[in-house]
Amino acid sequence: MSLWSDLTERLKALFGGGQRERELDEELRFHLEREVEERIRQGADPAAARRASLIAFGGVERFKEEVRDARGVRPLEDLAADVRYALRGLRASPVFATAAILVLGLGLGAATAVFTVADRTILARLPYPEADRLVRVYHTKAGAVLWQHLSAVDALGIREQQRVFDAFGLVRWGEAAISGIGPPEQVVVGRATAGFFDALSVAPAVGRMVRLADETPDAPGVAVVSDRFARERLGGSLQAVGRSVTVDGIGYVVVGVLPPGVDELAAIRTGVWLQLKLPTPTRRGPFFLQGIGRLRPGATLHDAARDLAGISDRLFPIWASSFRDQTATLGPMPLRETIVGRARRPVELFAAAVGLVLLVAIANVATLMLVRASSREQELSVRAALGAGRSRLAMLLITDSLVVTTLAGIVGLAIGWLLLQAVAAIAFNLPRIQQVALDGRSIGFTVLIAAVSGLLASTPAVIAGLAGRGTTSLRLDTRRVGAGQRSNAVRGALVTAEFALALPLLVGAGLLLQSFVRLQKVDPGFDPAGAVSVTLSLPSVRYPDYPDVQRFWRQLEQRASEIPGVVAAGLALNLPPDEPLDENNFDLIDQPVAPGGTEHIAPWSTVTPGYFRAMGIPLIEGRTFTEADSAEAPPVVVVSRSWARRYYLSGTAIGKQMVSGGCTTCPPTTVVGVVGDVKYLGLAREADGVYDPLLQSRNQTLSLVVRTTSSPAATFQQLRAVVAGLDPELPVVESTLASRLERSLEDPFRWTTVLGGFATAAVILAAIGVFGLMSYAVRQRRREIGVRLALGAAPGSVVAMVIRRGVGYALAGSAVGIGLTLLGGRWIAAFLFEVEPADPTTVVAVAALLLATAGIACWLPGRAAARIHPIEAISTE
Amino acid sequence: MSETTELLQGTLELLVLKALSLEPMHGWGIGHRIGQMSDDVFFVAQGSLYPALQRMLRKGSIRAEWRVTENNRRARYYLITPAGRRQLDAEIASWQRVSAAVNEILAFRLAEHAR
Repeated sequence: MSLWSDLTERLKALFGGGQRERELDEELRFHLEREVEERIRQGADPAAARRASLIAFGGVERFKEEVRDARGVRPLEDLAADVRYALRGLRASPVFATAAILVLGLGLGAATAVFTVADRTILARLPYPEADRLVRVYHTKAGAVLWQHLSAVDALGIREQQRVFDAFGLVRWGEAAISGIGPPEQVVVGRATAGFFDALSVAPAVGRMVRLADETPDAPGVAVVSDRFARERLGGSLQAVGRSVTVDGIGYVVVGVLPPGVDELAAIRTGVWLQLKLPTPTRRGPFFLQGIGRLRPGATLHDAARDLAGISDRLFPIWASSFRDQTATLGPMPLRETIVGRARRPVELFAAAVGLVLLVAIANVATLMLVRASSREQELSVRAALGAGRSRLAMLLITDSLVVTTLAGIVGLAIGWLLLQAVAAIAFNLPRIQQVALDGRSIGFTVLIAAVSGLLASTPAVIAGLAGRGTTSLRLDTRRVGAGQRSNAVRGALVTAEFALALPLLVGAGLLLQSFVRLQKVDPGFDPAGAVSVTLSLPSVRYPDYPDVQRFWRQLEQRASEIPGVVAAGLALNLPPDEPLDENNFDLIDQPVAPGGTEHIAPWSTVTPGYFRAMGIPLIEGRTFTEADSAEAPPVVVVSRSWARRYYLSGTAIGKQMVSGGCTTCPPTTVVGVVGDVKYLGLAREADGVYDPLLQSRNQTLSLVVRTTSSPAATFQQLRAVVAGLDPELPVVESTLASRLERSLEDPFRWTTVLGGFATAAVILAAIGVFGLMSYAVRQRRREIGVRLALGAAPGSVVAMVIRRGVGYALAGSAVGIGLTLLGGRWIAAFLFEVEPADPTTVVAVAALLLATAGIACWLPGRAAARIHPIEAISTE
Repeated sequence: MSETTELLQGTLELLVLKALSLEPMHGWGIGHRIGQMSDDVFFVAQGSLYPALQRMLRKGSIRAEWRVTENNRRARYYLITPAGRRQLDAEIASWQRVSAAVNEILAFRLAEHAR
């Protein structure tokens, strides 16, 4: 058999459509006419000839059917007919069609969007060759990360002693001032050793990467830039090599350009990569480097852990005098985990939420399908009586649902695309979120879940449609009581399920809302109104001596405080909230750490006295800093109230002394004041904090805070003028304290909004479900209700009866839903602030809300039931 | 009992191919020709010809085109394809083998028993 002729014949049959049928008619007509002619020619009379011809032919319709079968496209033709029939049916009931397609489309769209985000964030592979061999090195204890960064001691030790990595490199990033190409600008800059690029296996598109030789102290500074940076700032990637960029006042020669599209490496997003030169360590800290390594082929994470533990054992005792800690060892984590791990919880939460919404949507569409199937009861009976088999009937019902699902899938893709646009516009704080877009995988996913949803949604209708149907029973009983009751029971179960699924979502949204409200009420510890800040970095090239730096800061603070309207001005190393604070280790002299224990660590900032006034941070006890707290004077600190309470719960912290930063040879540091708590680490976090005076510290980068009575815009303009008057080449980063506070509430607000949106959708769907169920039940029981009313039932009692039944479903669903909520509490615990996942108030309030919604949704059909005219109802049925 | 015989399953195609190997014909013509060729021994329900023709179209052993008859009427003519000719040769050979074998069997006598 020739495949080609088989295929073309089948295709002609499939798409020839009406023409094929006309040709068949014509051919058979010709045959019969020819046969009649022949018989007349042989002497028969016309009427007898015609009869004889038909008998000889043997049943025209039968052979037509056989020819159609022989075309080999019968199942497809049936399908096409079913699809056409389903589409006609949808056009005939536009409300059903619109409701089902929109409900399912919304569910599918949300699922598509969340899948796409998950696919590009937590499911994504890192874009490096054999990325599963990449690890990041942390300070760990029993496999858990104690702190993230390595010191120069750790970095050099690993580099010299490690035996498990093909390549190991260090990287750090931060903001820096770029000048020499256009106006000065503050941008994120990465600094990395050659090993970092080797570990990631990044090759340059033009020129070379940094090399180990570039790291020697007297080698000239070199830089590698991204293709985008080269095009936008250096006149193209070929022109970029050899040009020089100035970063924080130091010149670097561009030696290479990264391939186009590489705008981030190891989740650090920057266009400028500078050679990182490791300082020669004098003590164990400070910890400021990310260590990234590529495992040797065949080496496991376990091998790396053992190797790093060995290095820790050899290395740490040597530096123990400057850092007393016996708990941490160096340990590896898969790099992928460290990059996408942060996104896992939010994305999983969204996935769970979307899954619930989609299930509610499917249950909803399933009830719609059931209603439609029961309205087709008679048609199905007729088809069965005419010989359609059970599988043919099932096919008919499934096709019906697949048509709805296909349309819903198309709507879903459009909605998913829109949602992704919104996600990109809101720029959720997730790694790699910028790269999220609808692609082949997400479309494939949509098709898959649309098909599964279609099958799930049609299953109850198929079961109810086929149940108890003998192949020949042709029931024309218009009341169809039996099948109706069965289908009602299924619909009741589906509506119950909708409420059971909606409740956990609503509880989750309620918990997030409560958390958000509480977070908003948290006292940030400073008064954001009227406080603005500018951040400056003094390049060490132009400010090599510390007296120059001190003079600059002093003049800046002085001139800022003279701006009209400025009430107070002060400098600080860090601004709240959510700015990672430097941390420092300390040992209290009156409560020394036991041998083998770990020194305390606290967030540490450097400020001028004016800072407390400018921020509105109250002094609780003792004093803040004065001019007398100079570099020559004994070291002093001011602590936060939380710090004081933690270490000196009874009595005062004032006058207590500590060894700071493991410096046992330095004079002890004395606590001179206690100030109010400030939420540096974030509103939901601890408020421990220690401040030392700027005069006793050395800082090239500081933020100036001013409290002013005039507008932020005018103040910024005057601050820019003040800075330009001191040094016209310094870039200035501006922010208001109010905007910083708002930004720190953005993510919790977004989680709350998104989950609230999902929960609202689920509740609306559940309400529509119970509304539809009760409306249908009222229509079905029209006659019975009419009799009740005729016998004197009060309309109110009829309304109550309908509401009672509907709320009953909601009640059963809520009970199941509370169970689900208790099971799923841990999903949401990480997003909560001062609220328990099983917060009883929330659960009860949510259940009450659901029941009230169900009650309102049932009130309309209840009222319709009470208005049934008894005589009409009884006579029309 | 009439003089006609039910056609053996599967032989209809062979006869159609044989008929078409002589000249292209329309459906009625094929049925008529098969009757003529067999001296009206075979009875073919005329209608059953058409499903068979459709199956053969799919196999590629024949093709169809609309032509005008000698009486100036439009009719669907069937033509044998090269593949059809090969199939015809193969089926004739196989038929002859089978019928020869059947004839052998029918001519068989139990010589041993006679002894």
